[in-house]
Amino acid sequence: MKRRILAFIFYILGVIAVCIIATVSFISMKINPVLNGPGVTETVKLSNWFEGIKNTNMDTNVYVFDSGVEGGSILILGGTHANEPAGILSAIVMLENIKVETGKVFIIPYANNSAISHNDAMEGAPEFYHIDLPDGSTRDFRFGSRRTNPTDQWPDPTLYNHQSGSTLGGGEVSNLNRCYPGDPDGYPTEKLAYAIVQLIKNEKVDIVIDMHESSPEYPVNDAIVFHQNAAELAITAQMMLEMDNIQIRLEESPVNLRGLSHREIGDSTDAMVLLLEVANPSQGRLRGKTDEDLVVTGLDKFYVQAAKEGKLYAPYDENGYPISLRVARHITTIDYIIQSWNMMSEKQILIDDIPSYENLINDIGSFLIEHEG
Amino acid sequence: MREIYTPEVFYFILMLGTFIFLAAIKIPIGVSLMFSALAGAIAFGEFFPVRHLVEGAFGYIDTMLIIATAMIFMASIKHSGLLDTLAKKMALGLKNQPTLLLVLMTFFIMIAGMITGSSTATVLTTGAISYPVLKSMNLSKKKAGAIIAMAGIYGMIAPPVNLPAMIIGQGVDMPYIGFTPPLLLLTFPLAIVSSLVIAGNQLKPVNVDELAIEDIPSSNFAIYLPAIVMIILMVLENVGILSLGLPLIFIISAILATFTGRKGNIFKTSVEAMRDSLGILSILAGVGMFIQIMTLNGVRGMIVGFLNGLPSEILLIGIAIGIPLFGAVSSYGSASVLGVPFLLAFLGGNDIVVCSALSLLAGLGDMVPPTALAGIFAAHIVGEKNYFKVWVAGLPSFFITMVYATFVIANSKSFGKFVEGNSFYPVFFIGLAILFVLFIIFDKFKIRRQTT
Repeated sequence: MKRRILAFIFYILGVIAVCIIATVSFISMKINPVLNGPGVTETVKLSNWFEGIKNTNMDTNVYVFDSGVEGGSILILGGTHANEPAGILSAIVMLENIKVETGKVFIIPYANNSAISHNDAMEGAPEFYHIDLPDGSTRDFRFGSRRTNPTDQWPDPTLYNHQSGSTLGGGEVSNLNRCYPGDPDGYPTEKLAYAIVQLIKNEKVDIVIDMHESSPEYPVNDAIVFHQNAAELAITAQMMLEMDNIQIRLEESPVNLRGLSHREIGDSTDAMVLLLEVANPSQGRLRGKTDEDLVVTGLDKFYVQAAKEGKLYAPYDENGYPISLRVARHITTIDYIIQSWNMMSEKQILIDDIPSYENLINDIGSFLIEHEG
Repeated sequence: MREIYTPEVFYFILMLGTFIFLAAIKIPIGVSLMFSALAGAIAFGEFFPVRHLVEGAFGYIDTMLIIATAMIFMASIKHSGLLDTLAKKMALGLKNQPTLLLVLMTFFIMIAGMITGSSTATVLTTGAISYPVLKSMNLSKKKAGAIIAMAGIYGMIAPPVNLPAMIIGQGVDMPYIGFTPPLLLLTFPLAIVSSLVIAGNQLKPVNVDELAIEDIPSSNFAIYLPAIVMIILMVLENVGILSLGLPLIFIISAILATFTGRKGNIFKTSVEAMRDSLGILSILAGVGMFIQIMTLNGVRGMIVGFLNGLPSEILLIGIAIGIPLFGAVSSYGSASVLGVPFLLAFLGGNDIVVCSALSLLAGLGDMVPPTALAGIFAAHIVGEKNYFKVWVAGLPSFFITMVYATFVIANSKSFGKFVEGNSFYPVFFIGLAILFVLFIIFDKFKIRRQTT
């Protein structure tokens, strides 16, 4: 009897220990980072545009760069999917470096702030990755999930009946990029989408850029996906990129693919909406060991093999697809989109100190400020 | 061995070997999976993988809740007498047409899967209801169990709700539109063939004595309320009017069942049902840990890469075997991990047809050990302790399904032309009607021959 009681106590203590360790690990992901940069004129909460997300983990920081000179405006979204780190890092690099001379820029690095606070189950993903800085130190960044944290939104329905009438798997209701144009009375992720759309409408945003990454075996890769209203912008930017030998594909937003930013924001606001994709092996299904190195270097032997077999839609070789290259592609594409806009609109957006493609590839760390990411 | 697969192949052998050894010395399957995951993590250099094990264990939390509550619901309606009453009503009308009754019962079982997209929920609801009818037609436990399990899988794949197809489609940004005709063509003919093949010569007209209902105080309308409420709530959930979630729907219906028919005690029923389901719940937690570590150490990538890299001549065989085999750990996981790259490998055919067929192969994973959710629960409801007997009885249907799905993938363009044509629905439903008439004639002929 005594032995059984001891075994029971031992078992309970074991369970408590596991719970504590797992909880500490889980809570460590929930710190809300505050960023800053020389050009930031104001940091506000997204809930300023829709109170329905106030005091929730869905609320997120919006970094405003107001030149004070009348011009156009652009919203740059990173972290719609928090397991696509180049989008987040590109937003951070921009906000820590740029200065706006004309017009207004809004940057949201963690568009789904809840998604950055956890990892996808059964994906074995790292919680953090780090970038080396010039002084020899490192800066840590979180690696998150494609979806909203279940502690903020759970359970999801069996089916997600999108307001457009299309039916999606239930889990997609916690995927920000399936919830646009949002619903003020819907699930938390739908409220988040609604808040972003309210920002765009109230601030009369001219251009919206939503940064993503995609697995190299996915057909839409290294691409600009554009709403039909933004076709000219996308085509001109593509021409500029190709003049710099940066190959990028153009994909028009399919009309029947509902809930996505490029389709729904484009349909429901006056903004020109573009979504950027760049290949990232750390989220692909063919990847081997899943660790921080894979996130940073983008080098995976199974992807090298798949590339040799002609199974990929992105150029890939033994050099991998490092995060510096992925960020460089995103930022340069944004730069050229803005230049294209300035060529066709009187509402100018003039930005200084956008890091160049080559400099980003060579030393992305030199564009990062030393603090917690 | 190709260099590219090391060291992952050693991790895989270690994990499998640990699992087989522990299972052989009678360590519970869920615990064996956890320790084999632990071994894989340590070999990889992750010596303290608590975070990964806990994260992986949560991978199936929704499925676990559905299973636990569906088990409570099933136990409640069994106690209330709803199971026996429904079975009797359904069986008596067609007591002398066993072939037709068998096919209709198979379709009936599929309904829950068509609404919920879950083979487990199907087996534990409409599957449980239909068992007394199958039993009254002289079918053995293992055959009845196999029919229920396979019908559960076909139901989960049949339209309107097919979660594996949605998962695969989402992986390539393909909207879930236009799937109804190919899914109808993939599931209903198979369901007919499958149930007839499994039943074989055992099928006999309904033995009314088998359906005797004892001591049920009320056989009036009230006894059906739990099933009616359950179906209404499921439909409301799926059309987006009232989203309660399957677990709550099952619990509400289970509580209702304690007040209709034989009076029950929901707490007692819940404890018994949970005791019955703990084994499978622990397997699911273990499977989640196993996949998490497989992904972490690269074994998953090795498997996907190997299958995806097969030469085109044998790629189809790789798909036919690989997807159901991976579905052994999870049919949804298989759809996501293997279904998406395989769909991409077949771009250029009819994508909707290929995606539908891949979802069927993924669904088959619910019959593959060690999880074999459909098989295990079917064995549970028919009272067969050794679920391998149910599994073996279902093997012919399993292989027929595998071959049919692969054939459809290989000929997706031709199938696409048919299912997208205007003649599909008339041909499909007229074909079904003709079959039903043939079954009636066959049953009459068979009974006449037996009596003479």
